[in-house]
Amino acid sequence: MSTGYLPLVIFAAGGMLFALVVLATNWLFRPRHGGREKERTYECGLDTEGQTWIQFKIGYYLYALVFVVFDVETVFLFPWALTFKASGMVSFAEMAIFIAVLAMGIWYAWRKGAFEWN
Amino acid sequence: MDFSAIRLELVAALIALSLLAVGLIAPRGKREMTGYIAAIAFLGLLALAFLAPGHGSSFLGGRFLNDPLALFFKRVFITAAFLVALMSLRFTAGLEESRSEFFALLAFSLVGMMVLSSANDFLSLYIGLELMTIPLVVLTAYDRASGKSTEAGTKYVLLSAISSAVLLFGLSLLFGASGSLAYGDVAAALAKPAFGPASGDPLAVIGGVMALAGFAFKIAAVPFHMWSPDIYEGAPTPVAAFLAVGSKTAGFAALARLLFFVLPSNGGGLSLVVISLSVLSMVVGNLIALPQTNMKRLLAYSSIAHAGYMLLGLVAASRAGLSALLYYIVLYLFANVGIFAAISSFGDGGRSGEIASLRGLWKRSPFMAASLLVCLLSLAGIPPAAGFLGKFYLLAEVARQGKLWLAALALLMSLVSISYYISVIRVIIMEKAEDESRIRVPIAQKAILALSALATVGLGVFPGPLTAWTQAIAAAVLR
Repeated sequence: MSTGYLPLVIFAAGGMLFALVVLATNWLFRPRHGGREKERTYECGLDTEGQTWIQFKIGYYLYALVFVVFDVETVFLFPWALTFKASGMVSFAEMAIFIAVLAMGIWYAWRKGAFEWN
Repeated sequence: MDFSAIRLELVAALIALSLLAVGLIAPRGKREMTGYIAAIAFLGLLALAFLAPGHGSSFLGGRFLNDPLALFFKRVFITAAFLVALMSLRFTAGLEESRSEFFALLAFSLVGMMVLSSANDFLSLYIGLELMTIPLVVLTAYDRASGKSTEAGTKYVLLSAISSAVLLFGLSLLFGASGSLAYGDVAAALAKPAFGPASGDPLAVIGGVMALAGFAFKIAAVPFHMWSPDIYEGAPTPVAAFLAVGSKTAGFAALARLLFFVLPSNGGGLSLVVISLSVLSMVVGNLIALPQTNMKRLLAYSSIAHAGYMLLGLVAASRAGLSALLYYIVLYLFANVGIFAAISSFGDGGRSGEIASLRGLWKRSPFMAASLLVCLLSLAGIPPAAGFLGKFYLLAEVARQGKLWLAALALLMSLVSISYYISVIRVIIMEKAEDESRIRVPIAQKAILALSALATVGLGVFPGPLTAWTQAIAAAVLR
């Protein structure tokens, strides 16, 4: 075992201790007033309408998923674009294949109606 | 870079994407053909794997190895995918809107298995594992009309996540101990006296045990077997077949490479872990299989027990042990696919799979009953079916290495297993059915049943060619 990790251990312990101290101080000194108003479900400052255990529209999920496809595409395109001149035709071909695979995914989502919002 | 090493994976991935595209392009009403296209494509891939596999080459600086061992496993996976695709034609007949996805997911999972068997690096190992598992989760939950299928999918995704976490933790500890992800470097670092099994360095030992636990989940070895009965029962029958033969074999492919080439298992503490997994799997799997009334659950427990037998090949950790394991994997593939194909030929597509529904099968479909009989006898290990020789090779090698008690225990448990296989055979032959009408076996199922039965008997009567092949592989990879 290396002893070089000791500062890390002390740092981690200190961090946890700090959080505990803050929480404990709060708990000791805060005023305690319960009540119906305080225990109500809070959402963006508005009163909630009806049950909170409702089913969310699956469209949100699909949108998020398609967004990730674009997102990942961009994340990989940026570093590739920066080193494009140095890396040459091989990397161009690789990127073309990568984008073709992603395009396939987007085409699929399109044909399945993931972009339509009813 | 030498792309010929990943030729098979590239083609398999291309098949997967093309199947998705076919589902989008094909006119409504002609989408029936997706399943046939998938089966033909897998058959073509199998031909490619035999004729032009890109032998002995490696990719990414040895991170990905296409050696004879990996190639053997790849051929097994592709055969399994082909047979499962044929078997699925009936299940997917009713899925007008999601048929091409079913076969595409099957192909993606196949790519994952192939990567897993070739992985020579923790990263490729993990990517292969997840590429195999995630499509399998979706496939498990594919039967949307059935609550059991959804439940099985949920269980599978949660338990896979836990097992992945354990595996990753183990791999990260091994990485910490060796400072590398590549198998060769890890093995070299662990072989140094500071990390050797004799010194019992806790980091390497814990890492190795956790990595083993992660794959013990995939092969459903006791005590990591709890998921398999529920999931086999809930999943659509062809998917259960793919889990039983594909996912399990992939687990063994990865495990064999880890135990033979990375972890210092010979004589170390890890071989004790493998022996315990094997003994527990044989005892618990066979004993709990006895009272089962559902065929798919029975098969799940029997597959747990078979994982125990196959682990004996890894316990032996010798050329003969590896060769026996490879032989066993092939006979296990055909016997299981045959039984699952029979279950999926029933009127409900094998949704219930109760053993009672097999009553009087001898009269209702003599052909199906005969093939089922051969496959069951093979799993039970009764000659001339291949299962006898498979067990003989494994037990002989374990006994030769002086672990007589282990061989004796395996033999005893194998005798116990005969009783539940025979009780299924008794239901097929002796009991009378309420409904004596003939069963119309779909043509694809007929083909699978015939092939499984022929292969099972063929491997049992003429074991020479396959044995020579597995011995050559073992001799090539273990020096």
